[in-house]
Amino acid sequence: MESLLPDILVAFGMGLLGAIVFAGIGLVSGTDETTTLAPLTLIVVLMGVPAAGVFTFFLAGAVAKHMTHAIPTALLGIPGDTLAVPLMQDATRMRNLGVPHIALRKMISGAIIAAFVAVPVSVLFAVLLAPFRESIVASAPWVFLAAALFIAWFSPGRWSSVMLLVPFVALIIALQAGTGRFGVKLGISYFLGIAIGPLVADLFASISPLEKKRMMRSEPRRFSLAPDVKGWKGYFPNPLKVLDRKQTGWTIATATISSATFVFSPVAMTVLMGEVVGSRIKHAYHRMTTVLAARNGVTEATYIAEALIPLIAFGLPLSPVAAGPAAPLFNAPPRFTVDAATGQVNNLHNLLSHWEFLWYGLLAVALAALVSYPFAMNFAHRAASFVSKKLSHEAIIATFVGLILVISVWEGGVLGFLVVLTVGLVGGLLNRIFGFGTGVQFMGYYTAVLTMPAVFKMMGV
Amino acid sequence: MKEHGQLMEIWGDTVDRRHLAWSIAIGAVIALAGFLVARVLLRQVVENQAMAASYAMLVGLAGCIVAGVICAKLFAPKRVIVEEGEDPSWRESAMNELATDTGGLGRLADLPPAVIAELKDVGLYDTFAEHEKRAALADASPSTPVAGRPAAAAH
Repeated sequence: MESLLPDILVAFGMGLLGAIVFAGIGLVSGTDETTTLAPLTLIVVLMGVPAAGVFTFFLAGAVAKHMTHAIPTALLGIPGDTLAVPLMQDATRMRNLGVPHIALRKMISGAIIAAFVAVPVSVLFAVLLAPFRESIVASAPWVFLAAALFIAWFSPGRWSSVMLLVPFVALIIALQAGTGRFGVKLGISYFLGIAIGPLVADLFASISPLEKKRMMRSEPRRFSLAPDVKGWKGYFPNPLKVLDRKQTGWTIATATISSATFVFSPVAMTVLMGEVVGSRIKHAYHRMTTVLAARNGVTEATYIAEALIPLIAFGLPLSPVAAGPAAPLFNAPPRFTVDAATGQVNNLHNLLSHWEFLWYGLLAVALAALVSYPFAMNFAHRAASFVSKKLSHEAIIATFVGLILVISVWEGGVLGFLVVLTVGLVGGLLNRIFGFGTGVQFMGYYTAVLTMPAVFKMMGV
Repeated sequence: MKEHGQLMEIWGDTVDRRHLAWSIAIGAVIALAGFLVARVLLRQVVENQAMAASYAMLVGLAGCIVAGVICAKLFAPKRVIVEEGEDPSWRESAMNELATDTGGLGRLADLPPAVIAELKDVGLYDTFAEHEKRAALADASPSTPVAGRPAAAAH
């Protein structure tokens, strides 16, 4: 087979590519992790890039995007993506105090430190959990059902999300049976439909006279862009100097804790950890800056852990992140597959060793840090200004519409497109009306594919 | 020229409906045509049919980006960007919010020297010192709010 050197080079190159691409995407506020990370990682998988390259691409992309999405959060006052929502209050106050650049620096310095903590901690936890793999995989259908119920209950929709799993799972089963009649078996189209659901639902709503009224606006949205001040010399600032000792300590501590709780939602952990840290710091300014660093560190660490631990320990997508943005690392037929009935897993879990996960993980974080961190520290203001003044929302939507079409038609022709449209519309509406979040929908998909066959078998249907 | 009759909020930002319709058409046509044409051509050149389709998908994705660039050139963003200057009233209201938060403003005396230096660096030391003094004065005369309460509430 191939020697080790090309693998490392591929890992390096793909990591760098992921970091650069997603550092750019992160600047466009509102671009969800799932809608961008999942499809692009999927393409990398399907192109046949070696396992190490797939892994570094995903991880460097996730970390780089997380870093640059702090820019719209801090300077424009709009959350870079869903993970940034718990940081908005403190970020806005720092903006009003006239020091948004400090908020930004604290946030991304927390993130970079947390990322370097989260990779080894996640690998360690995965190794500790690995002995339970046999029993987890043997009962995989039921583990997925339990995870789906758990994640549903923790979604904004609470009990309604738990109940909605039933019709949603039924819809998936029906669609699969429908495309099966034509001999077409789809996977990616479902993920894409779920990820892009809110856009599909909004587009349908926009042409209905009833909903149109609610969505019409009399004037453009107003954003105020805060000024940026450079406070250090040189190009590459030292994150350990941007944070004081206490802040570094809290960031490391909370990142370690949140890495362990990989089945919870990153947003919930972020809120909780922020409260814990905030209640222990007496002075308001120090509290804000420390909480910003710790919270952004927690979102980073939880994100990494949620992707890595299930991947390394089980090879099964058993967390909201693993089932969503990181899904192509687990399941990207025909190359990567998960078969619950036989417990057969064929994905990065089998292709990389624990040590490879550790070293390539650290490489990916280092590459993201090298690209994204100095960029965000030096060019935040200019980048935010460029994106908000030059890149219209229409252009972003055009790109996504193209993306939906190409990937779904590639996978299943007209049927692929119909599945994306149907799942997107239903999922998007359920999300908007009931708070049936995309994470729950991903778990619903797995329930339909992995749990229901076992249920039917048991009940003799 | 400045007519906003067609503005609409979709997927978290404002768009013009006519521009959006064009953008969707441009995105769909360029990306899908790129993919389908590339697939036909590549299937004749590349032996492995699955790989031919994957490469065609890459062409389609390049089409998405091209469509995005075209739409960005054609349609300007529907956003008003205000470059902020310093507004002292915001600072004031942020300070008041912080004071009423759980935990309150706290005391500068409790801070380690590094944080004090940072506060001075960013020019917030005096603001916090002044508000701390004011809060201390308010604490020293706790009778005022009680006296101000309507008498009826006591019964």
